[in-house]
Amino acid sequence: MRYIWIGLFLLGGWLPALAQEDLQQAEALYRQGKFSAALGAYENLLKTHPKDPFVYYNIGNCYFKMGSKGLAVANYYRAFRLNPRDADIRHNLALSLANGGEQLVPRGMPVILHKAFYLLSYAELTGLVYGLFWLWCIGAGVALLCRKGWRTVAVGTVLCAGAAIWWYVRGQIEHQPLAVVASPTAEIRSGPGTNFPASANVAQGHLITILDRKDAWHQVVVTSQGIKGWIEKSAVEKI
Amino acid sequence: MKKLLLSILFLVTAFGLYAQVQISARADKQILTLDDELTLTVRITGISGRVTAPQLPSLPAFNVYSRSEEQTIINGNTTLVFHYTMLPRFVGRTQIGPVRFMYQGKTYETEPISISIYRHAPNTPEPQTATPGKNAGPAPSSQRADPHLPPLEASLANQSYAKRGEPFFLVAAVSNKRPYVNQPFTLAVRFYYSQAFAGGTYQKPAVADMLMEDMGKSEGTQSIGGTLYRYTEQRYQLTPVSAGRVTIGAGSVNYRDVSDSPLLAFDRLLGLTAAGPDQTATSAPMVISVRELPAAGRPESFYGAVGNRFRISASAEPRQVPAAEAVNFQVTVQGVGNLKVSQNLRFPSLDGFKIYPAAPVSGHGVDGDGSLNGYITFKAVLVPAASGIYTIPAVDWSYFDPADGAYHTLQTEPISLTVTPAVQAQNEVNFGNVKSGGPGFQALAQDIAYLKMNFDPREGVLVRLSRLAWLNGVGLLWVALALLFALLDRNKLARKKIFLTAKNRLKKASSGQEVADIVSVYLVEKLGIHTGSLPLKEIVSRLEEKGVTPATAESFALLWEHLDAERFAPAGAATSAVDLPLQAQNTLRLIEEETR
Repeated sequence: MRYIWIGLFLLGGWLPALAQEDLQQAEALYRQGKFSAALGAYENLLKTHPKDPFVYYNIGNCYFKMGSKGLAVANYYRAFRLNPRDADIRHNLALSLANGGEQLVPRGMPVILHKAFYLLSYAELTGLVYGLFWLWCIGAGVALLCRKGWRTVAVGTVLCAGAAIWWYVRGQIEHQPLAVVASPTAEIRSGPGTNFPASANVAQGHLITILDRKDAWHQVVVTSQGIKGWIEKSAVEKI
Repeated sequence: MKKLLLSILFLVTAFGLYAQVQISARADKQILTLDDELTLTVRITGISGRVTAPQLPSLPAFNVYSRSEEQTIINGNTTLVFHYTMLPRFVGRTQIGPVRFMYQGKTYETEPISISIYRHAPNTPEPQTATPGKNAGPAPSSQRADPHLPPLEASLANQSYAKRGEPFFLVAAVSNKRPYVNQPFTLAVRFYYSQAFAGGTYQKPAVADMLMEDMGKSEGTQSIGGTLYRYTEQRYQLTPVSAGRVTIGAGSVNYRDVSDSPLLAFDRLLGLTAAGPDQTATSAPMVISVRELPAAGRPESFYGAVGNRFRISASAEPRQVPAAEAVNFQVTVQGVGNLKVSQNLRFPSLDGFKIYPAAPVSGHGVDGDGSLNGYITFKAVLVPAASGIYTIPAVDWSYFDPADGAYHTLQTEPISLTVTPAVQAQNEVNFGNVKSGGPGFQALAQDIAYLKMNFDPREGVLVRLSRLAWLNGVGLLWVALALLFALLDRNKLARKKIFLTAKNRLKKASSGQEVADIVSVYLVEKLGIHTGSLPLKEIVSRLEEKGVTPATAESFALLWEHLDAERFAPAGAATSAVDLPLQAQNTLRLIEEETR
């Protein structure tokens, strides 16, 4: 039993070191221009770090260098959702979206406002709303029992409501079935099959919203163009 | 200068290719008996001007008795075709050596051709005594074909021997009477004639559940019972598509006998055709039994091909391609068998590629031994999504060999592909969104930020808080409880407030009337007892109903009597107003405690 504990202790110490070593090896491959091999290494790391935005970011970089803008956008977006404050993630996502004719900051929206809106990740925002709510509960309870401090409770209520609205709007965006065109080109058809005529050709990197599914086809709206139609499932990557 | 030299080199090469001389030789049959004749065709293309005839090799096994020549000129290019008709002399395997052709100082040669010659049928005991004719009738036959002949040729020969004496007859035979599903076999229909005829409308045998390929027509001669017959032969390749017994119908030839028309010379003189009535020669129908392919040991990569000597090859063009551009990948199978019946190949999935299969292309030719040589090419367009070095894995393809009754699997070689980054994407990346620079600064290009060298730091407090959703319930519970407590306490406080108010007012009371008023208000607000309209006895009774003990009720009665005396008695009565508030306080405290 003692040896098991010692083994677990050593393993606990070694695993992060091994992961860091893998990270360095992947970086060496990337530097040598072996983007495909580096991609494989980062995808392996994703198995042990499934929620790490930096791993998604690095995968996005590999895809970008390999010319797969669509898959690069998908991975930058995943990284952005997990860590929206990181300047590099924001820069690479904006750049890769711009290459596909898309924009990270909606037209007409000040960048500062967009940054403020994405100041926190959705998980952080959830934590903030929860924390404020708990504080409000404590304050309200005390005020009820002590029959004083109602002004503080009122201020807390406004704060909580504001945070809840922010959280709700972010939740709507976060849970949107967003995808990106991953194949070099994809055809938007009027129905779920190749027997329906193609109405548009979409290059990789375009953001799309999935509305419905039927067999191997998705009903989508191309966000930037507002075009609605059906696209082959294999041509898109869900974010 | 370099370009000029390259152009000249190209023109010289092109001219050389254009003017390339080709020579080929083909025998109309490679299996024959001593009764048959053989036609050798030599074809020469790519020549111009006058040329000499090709030189035949030494042919000790044949007597060449006829030669004909055809010449066609198209765009200055001459094609010469020589036909040599020869009779075999000896039994056994022999070879027609290379045919040589001299042209502009160069010697061209054909490939040698192997020929198998079998002995002719033994002569019948009774010799032919009369000129064969339609009235002669069939003579009993004792002739049998050489047992070493292949089944098809042997069957044709035996049927023809059986019909000897008839001036016109039609025979048909198959090379295999028990083929497997999808296994091709040969059907030969031969029309023999020893006299002149007119017309000659041929109706091929009807077949069902089989693919029928026309394999060409040939002519020849054969000696049957001492009579020389000429024949026209039509061959087909049949491929059964389902198991069971299948009937091959009778073939027929409609002809008119012109050999013994007495008006022949006269009719010909007048330009008329002298002929007898229409007659029909028919072949016997045949029944063949098609065998099902064995299910045992059938590989997943079996697509229905039956045959042998198959070869497989794969190719991909180009081997180096930018991402998002097409690579043509094709797998070709060829060998002895009808590959038209093969199903489409399932291409292996390839990560990072989109695969667009195209319709396969198939065809066939005839081998030197008369067997069907088929080919099929499966095509697909591969579109790589991203750059890198990829390997198209080996493709398996299986066939059934009827010779050993087993399945065999062929495999292509893996193919390596180099996919470079998409050119368009690079341009867009490097020169998009370039911001103008200030003095001493020039923005050249914009690229993505470099890799992250570490993992994301540990998650913050807020993320951890987000996992404690259950605490929301606790918070809500806390507020609810606080609210409940607050509501309950309010009633209690209100009640307590009545007593405290009464007590405070009693402390300040200076007259019996004032004390009585305070006590009355207390009883109304606290217990809902209106003292003004009730006699003392009723008040005491109500107090006892509210839980006041009889002792306290008696104490109250005493207090109330004193108050009445104080209020209604004249001045100087026995009771002092100073004591009454204290007495009232004590009584109310008792009531308060007992009715809590």
